[in-house]
Amino acid sequence: MGQFILRRSLASLIVLFLASIMVFLGIRALPGDPALVLAGESPDAATIAAIREQFGLDAPLPVQYANYVAQTFQGNLGISTKDRIPVADILVERLPVTLELTSLAILVGLAIGVSAGIASAVRRGRSTDYVATGLGLFGLSVPHFWLGLIAILVFAVKLRVLPASGFVGLGEDPVENVRRMVLPALVLGTGLSAVIMRQTRSALLGQLSADYVRTARSKGLSRSREIRHGLRNSLTTVVTVLGLQLGALISGAVVTEQIFVIPGFGKLTVDAVLSRNYPVIQGAVLVTVTGYVVVNLLVDITYAYLNPRLRLSGASE
Amino acid sequence: MRLRLLSLPLALSLALPAAACSTPGGGSGGAGDGTVKTGGTVVFALSDEPDVLDPTLANTFVARVVFTSFCEKLYDADDKLNLVPQLAAELPKVSADALTVTIPLRKGVTFNDGTPFDAEAVKISLDRHRTLKGSARVKELAAVKTVTALDPATVQITLSRPFSPLGAQLADRAGLIMSPTALKKLGDKFGTSPVCVGPFKFESRTSGSEIRFTKSTNYYDADKVHLSGVTYRIVSDPNVRAANLQSGDVQAAERLAPTDALQLKSNPDVTLRDISAIGYQGLSINVGNVAGTAAPAGRVNTPLGRSPQLREALELSLDRDAMNKVVFAGQNAVDCLPLPLQSRFRPADAKCTPYDPERARQIVEASGEKLPIPVNLLVPARPADQKLAEVIQSMAKKVGFDVRIRQSEFVSSLAAARAGDFDAFLIGWSGRIDPDGNLGDLVGTGGSNNFGGLSDPAFDDLIKRGAQASDDAERQKIYTEALARNAQLRSIIYLYHERWFLGLSSKLTGVVYPGDGIARFKTAAFTG
Amino acid sequence: MSNPFNPPTIAGAAEAGSPEAAVLEPARRWRRLRQRFLRRRMAIIGLAFVLLFLLLALMGPLVAGDPSEQHFDAVLQGPSFAHPMGTDDLGRDVFARIAGGARVSLLAGVCSTALAMLVGVPVGLVAGFYRGWVDPIIMRLNDVMLAFPFLIFAVGLAAILGASLRNVIIALAVAQFPAVLRIARGEALMLREQDFLAGAIADGTRDAAIIARYVLPNSLNALIVQATVAIPAAIIGEATLSFLGLGVQPPTPSWGVMLTHAQPYLAQAPLLALFPGLAIALVTLGFNLLGDGLRDVLDPRSGR
Repeated sequence: MGQFILRRSLASLIVLFLASIMVFLGIRALPGDPALVLAGESPDAATIAAIREQFGLDAPLPVQYANYVAQTFQGNLGISTKDRIPVADILVERLPVTLELTSLAILVGLAIGVSAGIASAVRRGRSTDYVATGLGLFGLSVPHFWLGLIAILVFAVKLRVLPASGFVGLGEDPVENVRRMVLPALVLGTGLSAVIMRQTRSALLGQLSADYVRTARSKGLSRSREIRHGLRNSLTTVVTVLGLQLGALISGAVVTEQIFVIPGFGKLTVDAVLSRNYPVIQGAVLVTVTGYVVVNLLVDITYAYLNPRLRLSGASE
Repeated sequence: MRLRLLSLPLALSLALPAAACSTPGGGSGGAGDGTVKTGGTVVFALSDEPDVLDPTLANTFVARVVFTSFCEKLYDADDKLNLVPQLAAELPKVSADALTVTIPLRKGVTFNDGTPFDAEAVKISLDRHRTLKGSARVKELAAVKTVTALDPATVQITLSRPFSPLGAQLADRAGLIMSPTALKKLGDKFGTSPVCVGPFKFESRTSGSEIRFTKSTNYYDADKVHLSGVTYRIVSDPNVRAANLQSGDVQAAERLAPTDALQLKSNPDVTLRDISAIGYQGLSINVGNVAGTAAPAGRVNTPLGRSPQLREALELSLDRDAMNKVVFAGQNAVDCLPLPLQSRFRPADAKCTPYDPERARQIVEASGEKLPIPVNLLVPARPADQKLAEVIQSMAKKVGFDVRIRQSEFVSSLAAARAGDFDAFLIGWSGRIDPDGNLGDLVGTGGSNNFGGLSDPAFDDLIKRGAQASDDAERQKIYTEALARNAQLRSIIYLYHERWFLGLSSKLTGVVYPGDGIARFKTAAFTG
Repeated sequence: MSNPFNPPTIAGAAEAGSPEAAVLEPARRWRRLRQRFLRRRMAIIGLAFVLLFLLLALMGPLVAGDPSEQHFDAVLQGPSFAHPMGTDDLGRDVFARIAGGARVSLLAGVCSTALAMLVGVPVGLVAGFYRGWVDPIIMRLNDVMLAFPFLIFAVGLAAILGASLRNVIIALAVAQFPAVLRIARGEALMLREQDFLAGAIADGTRDAAIIARYVLPNSLNALIVQATVAIPAAIIGEATLSFLGLGVQPPTPSWGVMLTHAQPYLAQAPLLALFPGLAIALVTLGFNLLGDGLRDVLDPRSGR
């Protein structure tokens, strides 16, 4: 097990390193000079040159990259070119917002997805199954930005029970915070719940028809114990799906944050790309990628723990 | 039809100042009201995220909006965009040779950190604007040679050339004065905790979310300040700003969408104010940008670039009124000049090129070009711009132009425009109160925003003379001539000035909303 | 379990050798598959949805008229006989735009998936077939792509290349690439261990020939199933990018763009946001139903 963890961690580090180079080069391929953006409405050559020097953009690319890596290792993520606030401070402010949103969405996804999945697997071929499967398919098919628009229309514009958008910090006013997070979390969680529902259903069906369960049944195992048994074995599937869905969840958060005007990580990154705020893009993407890599590492380890065979084969899936 | 088209912008330009006169200061009368309460914090929905709150470095319009709460300037602009003293005691005194400007300062003023405000502080700020590395003010103060503190209450500025727009610059960001104590302490990090003279003082900033200010006890006019604070909350979507105003989440919201504004008019909890923005929207046409705006202009070999007649045909094909009606609910002010409607420098008898598709069609057909004439239209990817581009496309198609829209994210579109990679570019200008700021850099040879690469010596000469003349009447005459020449060259087809709507909770009084479209909360108060 | 036409997709399944039969009797295989497919009612409904939108995409301008013709005197109208779905903010016929949007949507969905397959399948098969030092390198690079937030990548790509249908297709293909690669690699990895392949390898058949003749055909079912999952996801992807202003160029109608423009009129004309959203949901639902059906037929063990 120890060796497995070591090997997977090393692979994760390599991924992080490659991702950092990709981001670094990728943002520099964007048209539009950040110094030009900063130089204001009437930019002149001298100001542009001064800004370039100030942010170290005049150095050759390898030097810039080396500086960036060296600084990052010292815990210095640089200064936002737009508002000159340290990037680390910005990330610390914005990260909890997106974490809250995605955690709530995962909660929604798990609550709806797992229970609907169990219900439809247990009552396979009956109306409950059809309704749950149908809703699951619908959840997969609806773009969540549209769901967001419709949710705003129904709950904020027509019924006026929930605010259309905007954000209030959790520490500032917890009640108001939750009120504002309900719609975004539901919207973001819907697609996830559909995926989880489908996976739970198929995993559980597979388990229920597996030989050992059949054997247990013939030995007089009760229906509910049988389901509980199958469910425990289906959990690995749900865990894996969650890990794989994380990327989609992060992308979904970007759109959800745009629609509901939530000052989270996704909005931060998109705004930073649009204003060529190199340090912020680098910092934000690094944190996102790290998050993704760490979660998947944990998923892999959990998986290997639950399925000892995998440890030996060392497969990365 | 044509008559109405011609008269609308003129009627508006006449009506607007008159309307403004009837409500002095944009309706600031509330302060004397008996029901006014002391205290309370206004949450203001700001349309975008400001950049650094450092007067020397700041570039965004929204930063200007925020500065009004905590950072005063030497001068300010009134409804008709005339200069009025703010931290200065009087209007600038200009010497006979127009090379020395003397500015008397307000006495007994202290910065929000208690530092006394004097001529030395003004000198430090102006010198920082002119010399700090990366300063965005360098160009605005390029004509300034020296700044001297004659005595604690008088500043003298010497110029390298006569420069009439100096006063207007000092009524903009270049006139913002910073506390020397804070500057000494923070240096180029001044923007993280800025200190100026102002009704409110900086409290905190949450990136991407909000900026808070509380009432200043050091302010010279503190007895007029009723609020205990102002919070600027960033809400970039106009529909969301309107929704938040309706739900009471914010008490004030700027730049509401015309459709939302029309709906809010019937809401008793909301009062609406509006102004015609000083900026313009236009269609820049590439006439000489062959190798980028930084390179000398050349000859662009496209039908539109070659032929002023075809550019005229394009303008003739555009029905500005219809555009305004479908894209902006008829709320913007259609116009064909770069000067704000409020500007006293506007020519008295401005005439727009009328909407005349038949004539446009004739010109296009007589041009000898292969029809339809292709036009590569660069458009920033913003919903309203995109919609406008689609309208232009369909209008121009009717007279024989094949407009191909190429929308691109904003910074990319600017980069493409600077490189000269377009036939036409749908881009506006945020506007300046002085005519020079709406012409020189945009259509003058070598101007940094002269995307179309226009280079006309006769026109350049008029602009230069306009900036040097000091008499208003004389300047108006010069600018009338310059605008006529500009219309003839037609490297920009001006379309309209936006109408900006400020939505306020009806419990709020005393908010000033002058011609520059920036709401001031100094005298604002809640009513009982 | 006794279907001889279904290649093994799970390691350890003991049906090696049988894929040869698939090559021998394509006609019989097709008939069996068709029969099994036709028994699934939901899959037929899915296919009908997809065909309906395909028809709309092909015949759009013929049945619905010009999607970019503007009528400023008839903006934001409700459904009527002349305009079955009403008109938008520029007085354009919403039905015509829905039909036009179907073209963009299907093109983006199908082409991006095809592109991802075209690149991802060979790379994945090679990685899985050879293992050795090639495999870990490819897999680490693949992990990087998986870890990279797709939308950020798409925003960047649109800024670099400019917004257009072609670039949307590229961005969506890149987004799908890691999944395709993983599946192709997994198939090759597993097939390699099968007896019939081991035989061919021992015979000294050229590697390229082995991959082309044995590995690829036997991976096809899993890849087809993947495609039916990927196409609807790509359709939603196109709508999302267009919604953010990074999609097709106007005046080409796109459902995502239509939703962006409907947003300001949500209170005034909610139908404007309803129709494009429903169109996206229905075509995606169609593909998902079809995909579920195909999966049951082609690859019964992988799915439900």
